[in-house]
Amino acid sequence: MNSKENCRNELRTAVLQLSDRCLYSASKWAAEQLVGIEHDPAKFTPSNTRFQRGSSSIRRRFRTNELTSTPVTGVSYVSTPVMEEDEAVNGDFYLLAKSYFHCREYRRAGHVLREQTGKKSDFLRCYALYLAGEKRKEEEMIELEGPLGKSYAVNRELVSLERELSALHKNGMLDSFGLYLYGLVLKEKGNENLARTVLVNSVNSYPWNWSAWLELQALCSTIDILNSLTLNNHWMKEFFLASAYQELRMHNESLAKYEHLQGIFGFSNYIQAQIAKVQYSLREFEQVEVIFEELLRIDPFRVEDMDVYSNVLYTKECFSALSYLAHRVILTDKYRPETCCIIGNYYSLKGQHEKSVMYFKRALKLNKNYLSAWTLMGHEYVEMKNIPAAVDAYRRAVDISPRDYRAWYGLGQTYEMMAMPFYALHYFRKSVFLQPNDSRLWIAMAQCYEAEQLHMVEEAIKCYGRAANCNDREAIALHKLAKLHKELGRSDEAAFYYKKDLERMEAEDREGPNMVEALMFLAQHYKARNRFEESEVYCTRLLDYTGPERETAKSLLRGMRMDRSGFPSMDVEHLPP
Amino acid sequence: MAGILRAPSAFAVTPHKVSTCILIQIYAPPAQISVPFPFSSVTQHNRLGLYLLALTKSCDDIFEPKLAELLNQLREIGGLMDQWLTNHLTNRLSALQSPDDLFNFFSEMRGILGGLDSGVVEDDQIILDPNSNLGLFLRRCILAFNLLSFEGVCHLLTNIGIYCNECFSTCPTYELQHLDDPSNEVEVLSEYENMDLENYISEKITEEIEAGITSKGVSFHLYLPKALSTLVEDIEASTNPKLEHSNKVGEHSLYTPSSSNALRNVDPRGGVFLRSNWQMQGYFMERAEAIEKHGSSFSSSAFELILRQLQKLAPELDRVHFLRYLNSLYHDDYFAALENLHCYFDYSAGTEGFDFLSPTPGTNSFGRYEIALLCLGMMHFHFGHPKQALEVFTEAVRVSQQQSNDSCLAYTLAAICNLLSEIGISSTTGMLGSSYSPMISVGTSLSVQQQLFVLLKGSLKRAESLKLKQLVAANHLAVAKFDLTHVQRPLISFGPKASMKLKTCPINVCKELRSCSRLVSAFSSEGSGLTMEGAFCTAWLKNLQKPIGSLVLSEDHGSGNNANPSQFCTQPSSIHGSLLQLVGSSYLLRATAWEMYGSAPLAQVHALVYATCFADTSSSLDATLVHVKLIQHLAIFKGYKEAFAALKIAEEKFLCISKSRILILKLQLLHERALHRGHLKLAQQVCDQLGVLASSITGVDMDLKTEASLRHARTFLAAKQFSQATAVAHSLFCMCYKFNLQVENASVLLLLAEIHMKSGNAVLGLPYALASLSFCQSFNLDLLKASATLILAELLLSLGTTHRKGALTLIHGVFPMILGHGGLELCARAYIAEAKCHLSDPSFSVSENSEVVLDPLKQASEDLQALEYHELAAEAFYLMAFVFDKLGHLEEREEAAAQFKKHIMVLENPQAVEDPLFNL
Repeated sequence: MNSKENCRNELRTAVLQLSDRCLYSASKWAAEQLVGIEHDPAKFTPSNTRFQRGSSSIRRRFRTNELTSTPVTGVSYVSTPVMEEDEAVNGDFYLLAKSYFHCREYRRAGHVLREQTGKKSDFLRCYALYLAGEKRKEEEMIELEGPLGKSYAVNRELVSLERELSALHKNGMLDSFGLYLYGLVLKEKGNENLARTVLVNSVNSYPWNWSAWLELQALCSTIDILNSLTLNNHWMKEFFLASAYQELRMHNESLAKYEHLQGIFGFSNYIQAQIAKVQYSLREFEQVEVIFEELLRIDPFRVEDMDVYSNVLYTKECFSALSYLAHRVILTDKYRPETCCIIGNYYSLKGQHEKSVMYFKRALKLNKNYLSAWTLMGHEYVEMKNIPAAVDAYRRAVDISPRDYRAWYGLGQTYEMMAMPFYALHYFRKSVFLQPNDSRLWIAMAQCYEAEQLHMVEEAIKCYGRAANCNDREAIALHKLAKLHKELGRSDEAAFYYKKDLERMEAEDREGPNMVEALMFLAQHYKARNRFEESEVYCTRLLDYTGPERETAKSLLRGMRMDRSGFPSMDVEHLPP
Repeated sequence: MAGILRAPSAFAVTPHKVSTCILIQIYAPPAQISVPFPFSSVTQHNRLGLYLLALTKSCDDIFEPKLAELLNQLREIGGLMDQWLTNHLTNRLSALQSPDDLFNFFSEMRGILGGLDSGVVEDDQIILDPNSNLGLFLRRCILAFNLLSFEGVCHLLTNIGIYCNECFSTCPTYELQHLDDPSNEVEVLSEYENMDLENYISEKITEEIEAGITSKGVSFHLYLPKALSTLVEDIEASTNPKLEHSNKVGEHSLYTPSSSNALRNVDPRGGVFLRSNWQMQGYFMERAEAIEKHGSSFSSSAFELILRQLQKLAPELDRVHFLRYLNSLYHDDYFAALENLHCYFDYSAGTEGFDFLSPTPGTNSFGRYEIALLCLGMMHFHFGHPKQALEVFTEAVRVSQQQSNDSCLAYTLAAICNLLSEIGISSTTGMLGSSYSPMISVGTSLSVQQQLFVLLKGSLKRAESLKLKQLVAANHLAVAKFDLTHVQRPLISFGPKASMKLKTCPINVCKELRSCSRLVSAFSSEGSGLTMEGAFCTAWLKNLQKPIGSLVLSEDHGSGNNANPSQFCTQPSSIHGSLLQLVGSSYLLRATAWEMYGSAPLAQVHALVYATCFADTSSSLDATLVHVKLIQHLAIFKGYKEAFAALKIAEEKFLCISKSRILILKLQLLHERALHRGHLKLAQQVCDQLGVLASSITGVDMDLKTEASLRHARTFLAAKQFSQATAVAHSLFCMCYKFNLQVENASVLLLLAEIHMKSGNAVLGLPYALASLSFCQSFNLDLLKASATLILAELLLSLGTTHRKGALTLIHGVFPMILGHGGLELCARAYIAEAKCHLSDPSFSVSENSEVVLDPLKQASEDLQALEYHELAAEAFYLMAFVFDKLGHLEEREEAAAQFKKHIMVLENPQAVEDPLFNL
């Protein structure tokens, strides 16, 4: 349990250092993980762990891999020496600046530190200026365009900051926090390669700054870039990789990492939430729901990531649970994008699309790069039959992140709705390219090809084939494949797929017209191939159903018997009438 | 409609506009003197007025000029008073130090405007009419300022500070007004800005003015029909006249955006302001036209840079995406084009700009996505994906019908016609099969050609009823093209048939072509003035840079700046460029038509007319086409030397432009010459190169494919590999038959006849020659018919001397045609054949009528020497030697024999002459 203790000590120092530099969210994150480390039960009274203890029993229900409870072995992490603090020269000014900073008077904070030297005050001064610029940028955005318009407002401090920081960087005067800020500025300026290098330096020298990792992650748009980074083997890297994999939609890898991390950070809400998000992407809604219920019990005022929970509730059509959640978050913090999104989801579920759009718009006003809100708003517009607005919303989502397959899919669906299947194909192709293992996308594409206007059956078959190969839950693909092959007169292939479909239906205990159709076809097919025994099996099964098929089956059976009576070698008599 | 989430960018007050306001105040001060203070004469006064007008309208750039540029221009304008003007301007600008100064400034501006109702106007008084252009501009500025929130005023003030600072830091001669460092200023300003931002008024009224102006007829997508027309005129190139030296050298450099624009750094601190919406649209129009006109010579990356910048600065301008699409389209970047096209239509929903649409507000909520389909189809067509294009077009037809968008339907039909006529499709079943359109559904049982005919007629009718004049013209051209190459057959295959002569109808072609050109007169009455105005102003401003006094002198300097006067000539034309292109392509089509009908002079004349009259407006594609025609003419009538000289010039001129067409021409010429000289290996090589230029997709680049295999067969023929030659020609014939290329069939048949003749099977050749003749007759291909007749005569001659009389009659029958319109080779062959006829006649006495055979032979040998056609030349000299021998002219006989020997030697050792031109 030494590593736990190590982590705890490192994080404890890091929280202090980060909050001393006013890096609030990084410090918040570090503190959360600090508390998330599993305690040695011997040392602590039950009251300390009351919330956490109770949780694990439920959580374990879904824990597939028991190995994770044992601490990690075999990986030796580098230990980065905890940084020594600067001497307290000019400490008074620094304190004043920090107070100003706390009161969000960034320029004032920067001004106080204008004469101060030392890495720490340099950092805080630059950081304050950066934030002042950001604040001004946000204001300008609203002044110039209105919040939902695209606008071109820039942080006017970037140029001077870059100049100063690069000079400091050249002289080696930047500590890891300075490097983080420099990386941030470079990223904003669009100098991604240098930004990446600088950020890697920053996290290598001071790995506990989660904000730096996040910036770095935003610069890793492909797996190749991610793999090319040279990162020290610190345990923070695991967090980073897990998060980066999640972003690159390598869900299983990400899940493995998180579960691995749970060995140490057994009570980290953050990890729980991330696992829930990954599970959501894997469409394991039951698990997601359990995890979020748990999280809300432990941390009732949590708003982060709750939009994912609301999505699950939406999909499961839990009206009251969703309304309860919405009520809860609106009391906690009304002006959070997540809150608005949850309410939007609720109204959408209730079918009140105008109101829903209003809340999504509000969410976007609060964060205009809020990807899922754009997509969800697109869905609402589709419901409202406002096609151009829907297309516009989806397109905005795509422009923010070209890798958002949902928005591409939404675009495709919208155009398909307009009876433009060929045009829609372009978008489906995009989404399928990004998410090749999603059967829904393949099916949507196949339906486009199959549409009566296009009727490109061969292509449709190919798409359905892909869909059938990637775990098609609704079992549309097999049936369609069988049907299309039948249409094309390829009865062997059709029989193959009907049989497969039949097997599936049997396995899942489903009945219905598809079943009858499959049985009917198979009966006729095998009869035509003179494989009477198989055919008879299907015919007898058909006899269980009512309707014209039953009669057809009967006549088929009769016909076969007649045929067989023609063959003297066969014994017909033992067949039951 | 799509912009539900976005406020359209309105008319914003910028520092540049403030400067313009100051200048307007100078131009029209409230005082009441006829020539106000600083001006010394009325002309000077007017000049400033003109300048201001141009300043508010020009659309050559996306950014407003910086103060330094403005001051420079003022110096040009001001003449004697430039010092006063610039000083006044800078002083006024730098006097604007606080928000209150700005408020005062704009209320002062209001004083310049004459009241709408002030009845008493004195004679000398200068009053700025509130409804004049400048008055309107001023009013909009004042209005925009009044609508500004306090934050907005603060922004303006900061920007004015930056605007002045930039200038003063670059031109130190001016006394530096003390202005704070902009960063300090931002700090100062920020205290103003902690206030409620919610009630930021949208500049609705300004928008309305803007809308009022733009809706008058800035038709952004006017080039859509043009795109159609340029596609229409790509008729296959064959043979034609002399080269024409126009002054278009270096033109491509003229149209690439100046690098200063491209590289202008968008420093967020620097005062970079976009021009007004109206000017931007003008700029877009102008750029779009330039891209279409210059194709790939248009510098792609520089323009892309500007567009990216623009997209960053003004993300609400969706048209940027369209321009990016056009740019990538003409640079053959399929993926970027596709991406940008989709992006554009996603954002704009097709509702932007298409003013040929009937504005029915009810349907607007669905967007105009059928236009997206139309554009996508044309894109696929452009990239040579006929199948996809056809799919998209059928979808476009269906959606247009659903949305009852008639004009889009008309355009789509025209586009389909274009596709069907351009691309070889053996059958449309499974493509256009189902009942999408009542017109197409008729065609299920018809051949492609018949379907095309029905579509063409329907499309023309539709365009006429919708009064889409350009489309009507484009359709006329398409019909003409169809008539040119297709025999009309009855559409119904049963019932009593009207007796129809199976012939193309040249009169119809002429009619259609004429009705296309009539368009110009129809348009000149309408006038698309507004768009021209911006261009005119731009040109005017550009001319400022040149001092007026030295204009004459600089012209005397000669070639150095001849681009400018020519530009000056073109600018005031009131006819839209796309229209001129359309008319121009009718001339091109005329040239092609005459080429096919076999009148070399007329074809040449029309090509020349095109080259001289439409050179300015023609797209680079057409320009190359006309050059190709003229060079081919040279090659046929003057020999290779001149043709290659001309080709060199053309190559230089179209350096990077649509290289392929010039390249094809070069290969063609090289191949022909190689064949004539007997460089068979080289010929084969060139021929293969020609073949790989064609797209591998069936049905695409049919011209090139037929051309390549025709040449392939010819190469085999020259190598005396008759069976291979026959095989190639046969498969070519099958292909032509499959794709209904009747005109090509005629020449393939002729080639087959020739192959059989050369292989010694004259009897086998006869039916081919006759078939070719009948093809030529029904398509009115007179020149080809003449050469078919010649082949027929040669065939007859080789059957034996008994047929020589018939052969001679045949030759004499076509002599007028051949001598009038045929090229060197054809004439020479006719002469030789005639001589042979005479010589084979036992009753013909050489000594009596020596000139009857000698004259044509001499003529033939001269022609053939120009062509370097060794084989035939040798034959001519052989015959000459033979005749001289009979006449007893020994000296001349020896000479002819020596010539014969020389040609044979060269033919047998082709490597002796190395070829400097073959450096591909």
